[in-house]
Amino acid sequence: MSKLKTLLFRHETLLFFVVVAEWIYFDTVGRNFGTLDSIFDVVRHSVEIGLLALAMTPIILTGGIDLSLGSLLGLCAILFGKLWRDAGLTPLMAGCCTLGIGALAGGLNASLITWLRLPPLIVTLGTYSLFRGLAEAITHGVDTFTNFPASFLFLGQERWMGLPTQAPVFILVAIGIWLLVHRTIHGRSFRAIGFSPEGARYAGLPVERRIAFIYVLAGVIAALAAIIYTARLGQAKADAGTGYELYAITAVVLGGTSIFGGIGSVTGTLLGIAAIAVLNDGLIHARQPREVAGMLTGLLLILALSAPVVPQLWSHLRARRERKPA
Amino acid sequence: MAVAAPAFFQPQPLLSLLAREAPTLVVACGMTLVIIGREIDISVGSQFAVCGVCAGLLAADKWPLALVLPASVALGAALGAINGMLVAGLRLPSIVVTLATMVTWREGLRWLRQGEFVNLPDGVQWFGLSQRTGQWVLIAAALTLLVALGLALRNISFGRFIYATGSDAEAARLAGLRPQRVKFLTFLFMGALVGLAAMMNIVQSPQVDPKSGTGLELKTIAAVVVGGVAISGGRGNLWGVFAGFLLLICISPALTFLHIEAYWEKAIQGAIILLAVVADGLRARKEQR
Repeated sequence: MSKLKTLLFRHETLLFFVVVAEWIYFDTVGRNFGTLDSIFDVVRHSVEIGLLALAMTPIILTGGIDLSLGSLLGLCAILFGKLWRDAGLTPLMAGCCTLGIGALAGGLNASLITWLRLPPLIVTLGTYSLFRGLAEAITHGVDTFTNFPASFLFLGQERWMGLPTQAPVFILVAIGIWLLVHRTIHGRSFRAIGFSPEGARYAGLPVERRIAFIYVLAGVIAALAAIIYTARLGQAKADAGTGYELYAITAVVLGGTSIFGGIGSVTGTLLGIAAIAVLNDGLIHARQPREVAGMLTGLLLILALSAPVVPQLWSHLRARRERKPA
Repeated sequence: MAVAAPAFFQPQPLLSLLAREAPTLVVACGMTLVIIGREIDISVGSQFAVCGVCAGLLAADKWPLALVLPASVALGAALGAINGMLVAGLRLPSIVVTLATMVTWREGLRWLRQGEFVNLPDGVQWFGLSQRTGQWVLIAAALTLLVALGLALRNISFGRFIYATGSDAEAARLAGLRPQRVKFLTFLFMGALVGLAAMMNIVQSPQVDPKSGTGLELKTIAAVVVGGVAISGGRGNLWGVFAGFLLLICISPALTFLHIEAYWEKAIQGAIILLAVVADGLRARKEQR
């Protein structure tokens, strides 16, 4: 009984019910919401943000944050288009180079954060501006890359074995990250670092190397997301992925990962992604303007942040009141 | 700069530039207080737009300017208070809280107004003065605020409280201060300054652009960080921020004069932020040894 109760009140379980409730609500309100096509639409639309959220999970676990991922997605999309159109590479080759560029960009974040011990927040705020600025400078703000070959667009627009082609890619990355966080020594060390970086260092963990690794990994995943984004829309523009970092952070925090680090799970992130994706697509099906979805995501983030804190604060206040002599 | 393009130093464009960027300076002053208190506020751009549009609507509704200004400041203070409550009251990390409020205000504004411009009645532009006097008024207001705050930060007890809170909140608490209250007040004050800055912005043109203030948070944080304020709180002053501000606002006209395309502005801004923090990091490393 008590086991069932703990399972029932776990963050993930509650979140699962939220997703189901959203689903039922939009199924009754919206048109054509529950059909297979629309489910595939939801999957297609949320793969890129989902990838960024997966990349963000280990980072937030260590108590860090990466605000530059959305901008990096834009920069990688542009460079991918540039490599394919102007350097004449095949999409496959261009894709490989793009992943390398993502790793380099992640490496820039990683080296500033670990070598100079700078706060991730301000470093990635700087690269957030730098990456987006480079994307705009390279395209002069207007140049877009289109007319990609059909064999490349297959990745974003067609189906493979009945599923949207990008879905297997996403599942592979999700499994990889899940294994990394929950089944390896690396994953345990992320949590140790999140709880106490100093403690982890005294315990003999290579803190700098572990942190550097996850920022580079995040860069590679952002590049992958950029390729899928380009394939889905069939074009690469400098403003690709604007604001995606917010959605990714929201998904991670909504999934129960503590923004202070140390606590969290990949399963939670996946459910968080589902909650946001269903909300976004559901609102479109319910014929609400796009802005409402953005606004609700912001509010949702504040709620998800304060939910675990409010009961603590309440009991803290009560304890203080009782301590005071009447 | 002076060598490459002497035309840069002509008085009239320089005056317009300073007047145009005066609101940024006001916001940067508020941001300095928040960052010295070891927090950050990235929702200022959205607050700026909300205050600007609301002030514009009030002015269009024939409110006298003497009432619109306090209304705008009060609205900004209210928005700042929301951030402050979430950060200081619930002890949530300010970066994520203000990221959320940034999007919420911006999208909410777009939803309600659908991106419409607000047309201002006559007599609002430059407070009904001539353009030149108006520009001087704005610059003078911003500089007065800067000097007053710079002195207050150094000499008034509350200014010292902010430094104490930022360098070590726990020690400040043990010393009898209330760090959470100090943080709340810095956010409140930040919001009020944004309201003032929004007002200083809308008097410069006949219309209010609902997209105004986009990227304002980056610009001001860049000025503050370049000005030598430690992002880890407790260190820095407003004079450095003023220097950082002057450096940053010169980028875009400098690009024009040096015949570099304007698209590079954002990238250069990012690079300057990174350089500033790298310099700060290197210095901290040297001190450790």
